[in-house]
Amino acid sequence: MKIAKIIIIGFGNVGRAFARTIALKKKFVESRYGVSLSVVGVADSKGMALKSDGFSEYELLKLCEVPRSGVNLFSPYAYNYVDLKYMYDMVQPDIHVELTPANYVTGEPGLTNIMFALTRGAHVVTANKAPIVLKYKELLEIAKKRSLQLRFRSTVMGGTPLIDTIMSLRSEEIEKIEGILNATTNFILTEMHDKLIDFEEALKKAQIMGLAEADPSLDIDGIDAAAKLVILSHVIGCSISLDEVKRESLSKIKLRDVVEAIKEGFVIKYLAYFDVRRRETYVRIVKIPKTDVFAQVNGSLNAVRIKTDVGEILFVGKGGGGLETAHSVLDDVIAIAIGSEGGMR
Amino acid sequence: MRPIVVVSASKGITDLLLDVAKGRKEVLKEIENRYTSIAREIGSFKLVKRIEEELDKLRRVAEGVGIADSVLTDYILSYGEKISKIIMVQALELNDIRAFELNATDIIVTNNTHGDAVIDYPATAIALEKVYSVIKNHSYVPVIEGFIGRSFEGEVTTIGRGGSDYTATTIASLLKIDKVYLVSDVDGIMTTDPDLVPTARLVKHMSYVEALEASMYGAKGINPKAFDPLVKIYSSNLLIGSWRNIGTMISREISRDFIGPKVIMLKDAGDYAYIAIVGEGVSSAKFVRDLLDTVVKLGIDIKGIQAHVHRPSIVLFVDKSRGREILKILHKVIFEGDQP
Repeated sequence: MKIAKIIIIGFGNVGRAFARTIALKKKFVESRYGVSLSVVGVADSKGMALKSDGFSEYELLKLCEVPRSGVNLFSPYAYNYVDLKYMYDMVQPDIHVELTPANYVTGEPGLTNIMFALTRGAHVVTANKAPIVLKYKELLEIAKKRSLQLRFRSTVMGGTPLIDTIMSLRSEEIEKIEGILNATTNFILTEMHDKLIDFEEALKKAQIMGLAEADPSLDIDGIDAAAKLVILSHVIGCSISLDEVKRESLSKIKLRDVVEAIKEGFVIKYLAYFDVRRRETYVRIVKIPKTDVFAQVNGSLNAVRIKTDVGEILFVGKGGGGLETAHSVLDDVIAIAIGSEGGMR
Repeated sequence: MRPIVVVSASKGITDLLLDVAKGRKEVLKEIENRYTSIAREIGSFKLVKRIEEELDKLRRVAEGVGIADSVLTDYILSYGEKISKIIMVQALELNDIRAFELNATDIIVTNNTHGDAVIDYPATAIALEKVYSVIKNHSYVPVIEGFIGRSFEGEVTTIGRGGSDYTATTIASLLKIDKVYLVSDVDGIMTTDPDLVPTARLVKHMSYVEALEASMYGAKGINPKAFDPLVKIYSSNLLIGSWRNIGTMISREISRDFIGPKVIMLKDAGDYAYIAIVGEGVSSAKFVRDLLDTVVKLGIDIKGIQAHVHRPSIVLFVDKSRGREILKILHKVIFEGDQP
């Protein structure tokens, strides 16, 4: 059986969900696709664990039980430092899975990691959006030159095959993309509408439920949604930069605004918008009629409406979530492992 | 085949967590103390760190909310079982048993009735099958939280007090596992409350209907919901007891030899007390007649009787002040072979 050697860089929620999913679906993937997924290395910010003939399912499950930044406790396979070069020399991975957190200023550490992976001849799957947002063209070029794949399906609407579907629309011209692209802010707005609580309280709840990060500015200032628009723009071959997306922060929304909107029969949503022809793009607070489809998309659900020269397509589904994202990442990994074409434009 | 372990929260923790959800943040300290002392006792650095991490999260949640709503309350309550699970896995590993954590929130799917949710069997079966196909041929012991689940909306739910039994019977019935051990600090179901009647003894066999009837009259130890999957899906045997002794077996049916009274219970009900005798056959004409003969012979004053032929119980209403004394006498006659 064909073996695909995988390394996982970044071992937080998504990393663990991914390791767990591989452990639970290894047999299934083997019998359905004839490929054996072998995780040979895992790294977090403080250390790494390597096993060149692959961690067993049990070891993968146990890896998920180490404390945060505790991969270096996973004896006897652990190292107290992270050295990608050493890692590549030791385990020679086929697929590099990048799950480090996004930094939209520098793109690091994801950018350097992905560059390194491509120059060492490994295919790349990333759930970290920043490198794709900032350096898509450069990365794709290196990948193409070396006949490697760079996949990032989980970066936008992790729980749905949005990016794959858009890539498959080969003859249609995409005119407009709009949607609810951030789960945290949509959850906050839903709570405000349903329970008539203020923004701060709803945000607190989102943080408690583990939706929002301790520093929620990426979500509520619209950076995350804008980054997703940028990625979609790359995918449709009409790239925009992060700075081009005009952003309005959701933090200025007041309970008063929500109550007023409800009285008038409206719903407030935080929408991301990209008019491809006019190159007009923004993330902002909008009042939409209760009858609009987006008004029905609540909680941590996401939705995207794509207008092409032929018609409209609507996607509704789970946005992030560890398990959903992990499956999207795994889909990309399997696609590479069974050798299906990248389909990048 | 290796067992599947379902854990509850440590004794008293769920009540403390409920206090936290009600806004009494000062009890957090007590929860922390209890868990850290367990972690230290087990003495694993990894475990201490993991528990600290979970307690940190709990603290953040507790400090972030005023009075929690039902969704947040369930979320807060889930920490009791979650930490138990982490401890149990570590304890097993230190005894050379290869164990791993399963997340109830990945497997037990429920409706969204927070605080008293009902498990969705088909959805849970799908999640369970997936995990089970991986582990069934290995010697790893999965440890999963009882009491908690996840709604279709993705929120943490709880399935009612004593819900760990319900989790265990659901998993057993969906996987067609024949034996479910419910382990606590008592040796099994007793014929009556041993604090009231020191001569109470263990009940060896009971049927589902008897145990269900007893739990409806307030018998300690079993959650009535636990029988639902056993009746609807697959009838595993329930074995109830402690680490020392598994004293009681509850199965779908009991042989004819075991027909008859199983437990006798005393409860206050308004102005009166009632004494419920539970067991298949106790609402039959013959048993009722014999019981009443005894009552008459002993000169017991009763205020009323309740028995339905389709229910395995008979209830005597008595004067509140004489309840314990009558309970003792009837226990002697029914379970200790005393002739009236």
